[in-house]
Amino acid sequence: MAKIALVTDSTAFLDKETLEQYNIEVVPLYVNFENEVIVDGTIDNATFFYKMKKASKMPFTSQPSPGDFVKVYERLIQEGKEVISIHISSGISGTVESANNAAKIVGQSLISVVDSHSTSAGLAMMLITAAKALEEGRTREEVVAIMEGIKKKISLIFVPDTLEYLKKGGRIGGAQALLGTLLQIKPVLCLINGKVEAFDKVRTMKKALQRIVNELPTSSEGLHLAMINAETSKEHIEILEKLIEERLPGFSYKKYELSPVIGTHTGPGVVGLAFYQYP
Amino acid sequence: MTNNSKENVFLNGNDLRHMIMEACKYFEKYKEAINDLNVFPVPDGDTGTNMSLTMMAAAKELQTFASESIGEVARVAAYSSLMGARGNSGVILSQLFRGIARGLSGKEQARITELGRAFQYGIVYAYNAVSKPVEGTILTVAREIAKGSRAAIQTPLEFTDFLRIGIESGKKALERTPEMLPVLKEAGVVDAGGLGLIVFLEGCLHSMLKRTAQEQGTTYIDENETFSMVEISEQPAAKITSGNISEEFDPSLPYCTELIIKGSGMSSQKIRQSLEGLGDSLLVAGEDNLVKVHIHTGHPGDVLESCLAQGSIHDIKIDNMIDQFKETQWGRLSAKSQPVRPTGKVTGGIGVITVSSGEGLDAIFLSLGSDKIVSGGQSMNPSVKEIVDAVIEVPSDHIIILPNNSNIKLSAEQAADLVEKDVMVVDTRSLPQGLAAMLGLDKKKTLLENHQEMCERAKQVKTGEVTYATRDTTVNNIRVTKGSIIGISDGNLLICGSSVESATRDLINTILSDEDEVLTLFYGQDVTGKQAQEIVEILSGEYPDLEIELQYGGQPLYYYLLSIE
Repeated sequence: MAKIALVTDSTAFLDKETLEQYNIEVVPLYVNFENEVIVDGTIDNATFFYKMKKASKMPFTSQPSPGDFVKVYERLIQEGKEVISIHISSGISGTVESANNAAKIVGQSLISVVDSHSTSAGLAMMLITAAKALEEGRTREEVVAIMEGIKKKISLIFVPDTLEYLKKGGRIGGAQALLGTLLQIKPVLCLINGKVEAFDKVRTMKKALQRIVNELPTSSEGLHLAMINAETSKEHIEILEKLIEERLPGFSYKKYELSPVIGTHTGPGVVGLAFYQYP
Repeated sequence: MTNNSKENVFLNGNDLRHMIMEACKYFEKYKEAINDLNVFPVPDGDTGTNMSLTMMAAAKELQTFASESIGEVARVAAYSSLMGARGNSGVILSQLFRGIARGLSGKEQARITELGRAFQYGIVYAYNAVSKPVEGTILTVAREIAKGSRAAIQTPLEFTDFLRIGIESGKKALERTPEMLPVLKEAGVVDAGGLGLIVFLEGCLHSMLKRTAQEQGTTYIDENETFSMVEISEQPAAKITSGNISEEFDPSLPYCTELIIKGSGMSSQKIRQSLEGLGDSLLVAGEDNLVKVHIHTGHPGDVLESCLAQGSIHDIKIDNMIDQFKETQWGRLSAKSQPVRPTGKVTGGIGVITVSSGEGLDAIFLSLGSDKIVSGGQSMNPSVKEIVDAVIEVPSDHIIILPNNSNIKLSAEQAADLVEKDVMVVDTRSLPQGLAAMLGLDKKKTLLENHQEMCERAKQVKTGEVTYATRDTTVNNIRVTKGSIIGISDGNLLICGSSVESATRDLINTILSDEDEVLTLFYGQDVTGKQAQEIVEILSGEYPDLEIELQYGGQPLYYYLLSIE
């Protein structure tokens, strides 16, 4: 049986150790400032948001080109490997499309492209689940089936500090309705079917965080949970940690920073949770 | 008025029409005095105005509606007063009319006893209009009027005497309202709605006396001895001998229980004694081996048990008299007043109607997804008709109403009953509560889910209101002088100050707690943006951890409305 390689994109924002441990290849997205292109994942969030604040024009993000994927896929196939390529939701990025186009060029029979319907910590946890399944000897088809199962139930719920960035980036989807609100609100958003939708609206951060935690299962059985944040205030992170501890005492989980590409759309100060139960 | 003997005095439609119109005029004179009895010395204390507008709606309609039929006149009065009902007291008053109309339904003219009975119905309807009756209010007064006059109509008497007896019982109850509701006691007032009801009955009496005098060719002088207003009469209530079976009932004894006991050697006197404590309107007839029992009770089971001790029981009949009243839904008043069936396009989803005042607040409600604003609230309660019109106008079958004022809830509920749509009222008592509820709105969810969520959200916010005092009083041990600035939070007067700024700051300081994160100030039409900005700057310095948002509310009378979460 051929060896199977995992490919993802930079929005999963996995740390170097994890990538090496599970042999995961990363194809980066880009953040385009007026005079500079930043390869996603090559810059830390503090520097990035500082740059963004200083920039006279909002940067825009772009997906990898099919060519970026072709290079990676060809190399892996030459190494005699098959590929499972798991990516940021097609509802908010064209990355999956680029990957599919590349697969058509390189050879669809050897490459499975999966639309995660998620991103960031959600995508990261799916990759780890996939890597572990491969370690257990599952086939490409089996792993793809597991991913397809998870993407139906994965939740990514978050509170941006403001809706401004999502609005400017055009990735606001059904949360559009919240824009006309005259009263300042804390919008609780989520990815539903891979698109940004309004989940709830409250007036305070504490209530927003409580609202997110209320969505967590009450049992930690098979629970994959991670916190997402990007230059988020320590206070908000601590409140969320406390709420999770109250709901799932002793349960441990990782915290993921958002990659600059995602941060471009959410803005700094965002906080949220990604989770699913598997098996 | 046909005057044969006391027993056979007939009133027709014209008589009733004149009585209501006269009573309305009479009430008008005391409107302001009733307004002044508001517990809080706030400028929206308008119980008198609300009741007056409610009966005016009836009087206005009756001006152009002349009919000999007393049933028809009563029906028109009921319908128009309900449509024009404003505020809780107005709605309760309209229910009084509704009960009277029910009692007179189909009648061309009514004998005194029939009219008395119709008034009894009215009182019961008024009592039933409120889901959680609070003692010490108009309802206590209504009930006592009913109690006092119930027995009176069993014996032949003048309608004016019937009214007098009712008024006397009502006054006695009114006098006790401060003992039942501590807020009244502290404010040194009796219940305004209760007084309003008495004044209305006095108006009826006044009108009747005037008419009698005219018929007898004498001049009726509007002496003040009968019409004592706030000053409570010390005169003992007329002694009335108890009648036998009456059609009327005490709402606390709703089960009309009838049965036959078969046994041997039974004594009706003994049986009567054993049942006496269990209710009223008791009748025990027969002797020896067959006794018939009739009683109005709160515990029919106890009655049955007690009778079982005497022999076997037969032909048992238990009716809940409250149901009998409730069954007589609005539509049965007359074919003309069926529930309003809206025509026009109806779309799916939830429609939201908000009672709000101030252009700023209106805009915020609309931005949060409200479909229609009914203007009113702090300064003027909307009529039932205004809410009905809004319910019809919003193109949805499922409607949520946010009254945003505890005094508008009953009107909203009445409006909900009148239109053939699924309508639910969220009990929001302030504009900030209404805004909090709006955040829970999800038009994709069901009416019930939305209602539940919105009720929950409304509770999660603290409300503050800053306005001026309209009279001197003492509330919560706070001495309030007319014209001073007062701060109220969720129904409690907490602050009395000399300036808007200091009262606002003091109020915030009093109601703010450590967990609170966001303070939203809505400034009213009497405050400039600059003044509001200045307060915000001071507050930001005082509470560095608090997120403070300033919004233009544009509301009248209230300098600031505060929402704290």
